[in-house]
Amino acid sequence: MIEVRELSHAFEIGKKEKKTVIPVLVDVSFSVEKGEIVTIVGRSGSGKSTLLNIISGFIKPKHGEVWIHGEKVSDYNEGKFADFRLAYLGFIFQSFQLIPSMTAYQNVELPLILKGMTEKERQQKTEETLKRVGLIEYKDHYPSELSGGQQQRVSIARALVVNPPLILADEPTGSLDSETENELLQFIQELNRDLGITFLIITHDEKVAAIGHKTIEITDGRVMEGVLA
Amino acid sequence: MNLKDQFRFVRQNMKKNKTRLFMTILATAIGCTFLIVLASVGFGLHKSIIQDVMEDSLVTEIQVHGKEAGEGNFQGIKDEDIQHFREITGVKAVTRRQSLQQSPIFKTEDYTAQSEAVSAYFPEEVKAGFELSEGRLPEKENEVVVGSSFADGLSLEPKEGENAFNEDGSIKEEYAYKGELVGKTIEMEVIKMEDGKEIKKSIPLTITGVTKKPSKEWMQIRTVFISEDIFKEVEAFTGTPGGSPEQVEGASGDTGRIYDRVSLYAKDVEAVTGINDQLKDGNYMVYSIVNEMKQINMVFTILKIGLLFIGTIALIIASIGIYNTMTMAVTERAPDIGIMKAIGAHPKTIKRIFVLESSYIGLLGALFGTIVAYGISYAVNLALPLVLERVFEEAPPEGLMLSYIPWSLTLISVAICLTVTIFSGWRPAKRATQVDVLKAMRREV
Repeated sequence: MIEVRELSHAFEIGKKEKKTVIPVLVDVSFSVEKGEIVTIVGRSGSGKSTLLNIISGFIKPKHGEVWIHGEKVSDYNEGKFADFRLAYLGFIFQSFQLIPSMTAYQNVELPLILKGMTEKERQQKTEETLKRVGLIEYKDHYPSELSGGQQQRVSIARALVVNPPLILADEPTGSLDSETENELLQFIQELNRDLGITFLIITHDEKVAAIGHKTIEITDGRVMEGVLA
Repeated sequence: MNLKDQFRFVRQNMKKNKTRLFMTILATAIGCTFLIVLASVGFGLHKSIIQDVMEDSLVTEIQVHGKEAGEGNFQGIKDEDIQHFREITGVKAVTRRQSLQQSPIFKTEDYTAQSEAVSAYFPEEVKAGFELSEGRLPEKENEVVVGSSFADGLSLEPKEGENAFNEDGSIKEEYAYKGELVGKTIEMEVIKMEDGKEIKKSIPLTITGVTKKPSKEWMQIRTVFISEDIFKEVEAFTGTPGGSPEQVEGASGDTGRIYDRVSLYAKDVEAVTGINDQLKDGNYMVYSIVNEMKQINMVFTILKIGLLFIGTIALIIASIGIYNTMTMAVTERAPDIGIMKAIGAHPKTIKRIFVLESSYIGLLGALFGTIVAYGISYAVNLALPLVLERVFEEAPPEGLMLSYIPWSLTLISVAICLTVTIFSGWRPAKRATQVDVLKAMRREV
């Protein structure tokens, strides 16, 4: 499903003569099989978020390749990656990233609008997905009227609504209390089991890391040998 | 993302800052109103002048004043020229008139009038649009048609020491003719000079019809339209061409019939230019209102373009407001743009939404601006005659229109307004596509 080959990336700080290059990822290679839950763990600043952002297409890597679903996405331009994201990727963010002026229903419906679906198709899919995440009765609520857990479930519904084969999650439980966190992890496992969705999860939380079929530890931008479970 | 959803999105976004939106639409509407009202002055004056010119003469008429047969050698129009004119493609009628070279005195009962007499060929005149207000066209040689104001010239012989005319030149009530004209017999008195003596001849004529009044109230037609036979009779009496009382020096008697007023009438306006060119190629001296209108149109086209240009400047100023509004909108909505991009919105979609928003503002501004412009135009045309009458103490010309908004002006203005607004929204829209997803989601934009 995902293949990362010899990926390296560095951030440049400062201007011209005073420019400093800080390496973030060094020669990272790993793969994620279809139907797996893979967690990437590491301390703050280890480069795990940069890795996810490169896989998501938000950052262009300096060196190396990223293959998703048999496509070399690291060569894609912005427009092509946008189309790819819409078709194959779902996202769950730590801070939910819901549009505050839209209701839960409108937020979930948004990817379907971008796909150009008819209103009838959209209504059916959006309601179905909101039912799956247990928020159909909150469909007309704005994000500010929902709890953190509910907002994260809206965010999951938005990721699920286009039936993506792969969901990328960046610290999905980072803003949730312990009880809601357990519920969410259970839900992720359910989706993986029932729908066969592949998950790549970035976390520093051991509880989250534990649900992965495979865990990759990143330290100082490098994949640690021997910790692949 | 289909257009309907894009519109829904745009409307949803526009509701976020209603005051700013209102002010931007207001500025655009004012710009659009200014553009339309300013240009409508050019269109109004153009229309008034063209209307005035058109009322004075027929658009399809081409007057032929003579023929240039070599350097400085001008000839009158003869029968063979008339025959040639008839053969030109697109010609509907060729009227020919010959003025009597003296003004005969016409008498009926005790009333007399001095008027010009013209011989005309009526079958062609009718084809050209000659109309009567009463009676019929002449059928016999001694039958005539008189001009619509002929009766106004008939007066009784004033009593001794009295004047038959008022100060304004009209005939006093007690001397004016009030009877019917059609069916009346009138005597046409012509003269010739022989050995210094004036010899008179009286020809009895019957009035069979009166011409239609011209559209211009001030125009007076007192002409008497006589037959070609009567014309020849006068020529035979005077022994001069055109019936001149005296032999004109240098004029020869056997030059053939020469018409002094010849007009060609084209089947339609489009044919006028072709006929004109053909006549000019044949060295005929022609005058057509179409040529004059070409010049008028050119002057007014330049004026209208100038006014549209000035008006467009007002819209460009208004577009700065739209640019500002859209830039603010992009900044405010950067986090939303970031989220949309993250879940798969194509940069083109983002750009289209913002361009659509600025176009929507432009369209609303153009719509309100156009409505207000129509209102102002109506009010100006209503108030202008009253103002002019008060200031100059005389009635303005009939049909004067200071402001006129044709559909073409509305369409041009809306198109300019939309173009300007789309351009002003283009850069902010492009900026929206360049929003960095990660920075936007971290609220760092």
